[in-house]
Amino acid sequence: MTHWLLLQSATPPAIRQPAVIVVALLYFAAVAAIGVWASRRTRNARDFFVAGQGIGIVTLAIAAMASTLSGFAFVGGPGLVYSAGTGAVFIVLSASITNTMGAWVLARRLRLLGEARGLITVPDAIGARYRSPAAQGLSAIAILVAVVGYMATNFLALGLVIDAMFGTGLTLGIWIAMLVTLSYTAAGGILAGVYTDLFEGVVKTVASVTVFYFVLQVGGGLDGISRAITAVDAAFLGPWGKMPVLTALSLFFVFGLGALGQPHVAHKFYMLRDPRQLKWYPLLMSAAMGLTLLLYVGVGLVMRAKVASGALPPLVRADDATPAFVLGFTPGAVAGLVFAGVLAAGMSTVNSFMNIGAAAVTHDLPRALGRRVGDELRWGRAWTVVLSVAAVLLAQMPGAVVAFLGIFGFGLFASTLVPSLAIGLNWTGATREGAIASIATGLVLTLALESLAFLKVFSLPAGVTISGLSLILSILVFFGVSWLTRARAAAQLDDDVRVVMEV
Amino acid sequence: MTIRLPLACLALSCAAIGGAYASSFLPGGAPVWAAWGVALGGAGALASMMALGATRRGRVRPIALGVSALTFVVVAGAFGAALLLPPEAPDAPLLLGLPVRAALVLYGVGIVPLLFLPLAYALSFDADTLDAGDLERVRRAARESAAAANPAATPELPRATESAP
Repeated sequence: MTHWLLLQSATPPAIRQPAVIVVALLYFAAVAAIGVWASRRTRNARDFFVAGQGIGIVTLAIAAMASTLSGFAFVGGPGLVYSAGTGAVFIVLSASITNTMGAWVLARRLRLLGEARGLITVPDAIGARYRSPAAQGLSAIAILVAVVGYMATNFLALGLVIDAMFGTGLTLGIWIAMLVTLSYTAAGGILAGVYTDLFEGVVKTVASVTVFYFVLQVGGGLDGISRAITAVDAAFLGPWGKMPVLTALSLFFVFGLGALGQPHVAHKFYMLRDPRQLKWYPLLMSAAMGLTLLLYVGVGLVMRAKVASGALPPLVRADDATPAFVLGFTPGAVAGLVFAGVLAAGMSTVNSFMNIGAAAVTHDLPRALGRRVGDELRWGRAWTVVLSVAAVLLAQMPGAVVAFLGIFGFGLFASTLVPSLAIGLNWTGATREGAIASIATGLVLTLALESLAFLKVFSLPAGVTISGLSLILSILVFFGVSWLTRARAAAQLDDDVRVVMEV
Repeated sequence: MTIRLPLACLALSCAAIGGAYASSFLPGGAPVWAAWGVALGGAGALASMMALGATRRGRVRPIALGVSALTFVVVAGAFGAALLLPPEAPDAPLLLGLPVRAALVLYGVGIVPLLFLPLAYALSFDADTLDAGDLERVRRAARESAAAANPAATPELPRATESAP
């Protein structure tokens, strides 16, 4: 299942049109300007890791949307819709619920915990909730493992797009992607990340809405698209598309509940200036995400309709759906906007991972070992560089290895953080032992099962996903061990944490 | 309503999905009810998680309970209808541009919750989620904890929260 989440694994068609290149260069210039501006305002570790806890709700919502939707939403996703039909939409279907759910489950408690304790990372919250350096350290390890794999996959994808736009060659394209993202992330930390995310989020939203307008024009409206497809292949627009029912429904569950375990989104709640502004978070985030997902759904369907009606030959690769549509059916400036949106999507996701990865090494792991790093700002910048270089080197390994590194990120986050963080912050009966057992279960199961599947030692039955299985088992372990050790629950809660969990 | 209800529903939902997954390992493959297990379990897990997050002082607020129940009904209803209805003929009437079963799932699950969840959250926020008194309670508890942990130090918050602009 999760291999579908890879942004792009093969070189897209050459897109070296003047308008595309000009828009892309303007995009790079804007990102650089934001990076310079932010770096001048980053003076300490709080600025670097939580943007000085001074951002507003509109910025938070759009930045959270930008880092949630990676380039997959613009390239891999439409390609999946093109090949799997309605079933591919189940990956994003739960977005109608997850933003409000995240606000209720995580946003208020994390923001208040940040207020009470001056926390700056997601593992910080786990450590404070259970009064447990071990839980904090274990969750930091899980985050670090997933982050490096995710970064490698995104650098590869960005390198492919840059190569297609500028003809740089893949290796140079990967390094350019890394250096651009690193330059503003290492200098300006999450402050630069959040404001570039804001800019990138606006670019993505405008690009998506514009492309959707052309989708409806080209396809003759949604009716025209549906009629063209169902005349040839009715199952494509059945409720589950070309997927088995169980697979489609599993995607809904994994991406729905798993959304609560994504640290690059949860981390942003610490940054909000005033916690009472959270009132508007679901509305803003849902609106931004809904508009940005129009391209995901529309492009795959209209390209399938064009192929079904014989107006276009079948695509050689499903991932070519977006490049083929924007180059064939939209003006050059719109194509430029879309490819800038693809770059924006990849970079906005990667910069968040760079920051939380650096925080895991600089902040969480030392604290788990009972130590503190002297100058967290300096070391945070240094580890941002180290992790980025490591990810770029991994990105240049054989494609199958990079794919393997990227596939378990979402599931690893979900299975290790949903029980301990999302449930644990809302249930005083959860125990330290339950949290540690569930994080360990999620970490070991996800890595072991993904590795065995990668090595083709075994495969799960159709419809059962490794992410789903790991998530279910880690939740059940969390409940089971917490129940067995329930006598210790009350003694493991500090008074201020209890107040945060009660309000 | 106490916190036990959403916790029990969450555990049951996960058990339903786990049971459906386990049934997939049977020699004949997953039985028909497995899809129902994941459909109802998925809807139940998200709805109960929302209710769990909306608890205050160990109790689920009535509006959150109602909104969570409505979400479950909408999502489970859309999935259930798609599972029960027969496939459409290629020339059957479309519903808002899509075949009926696809429309029920995509609009019912992907759009309908958007129409009430964010608004319900915003409208109930001041009364049921976070008010000025809650913030003050948290800050006071933080000061007391800091003072208890280090009596010699001046109790001070890491950073004061500013008021909304």
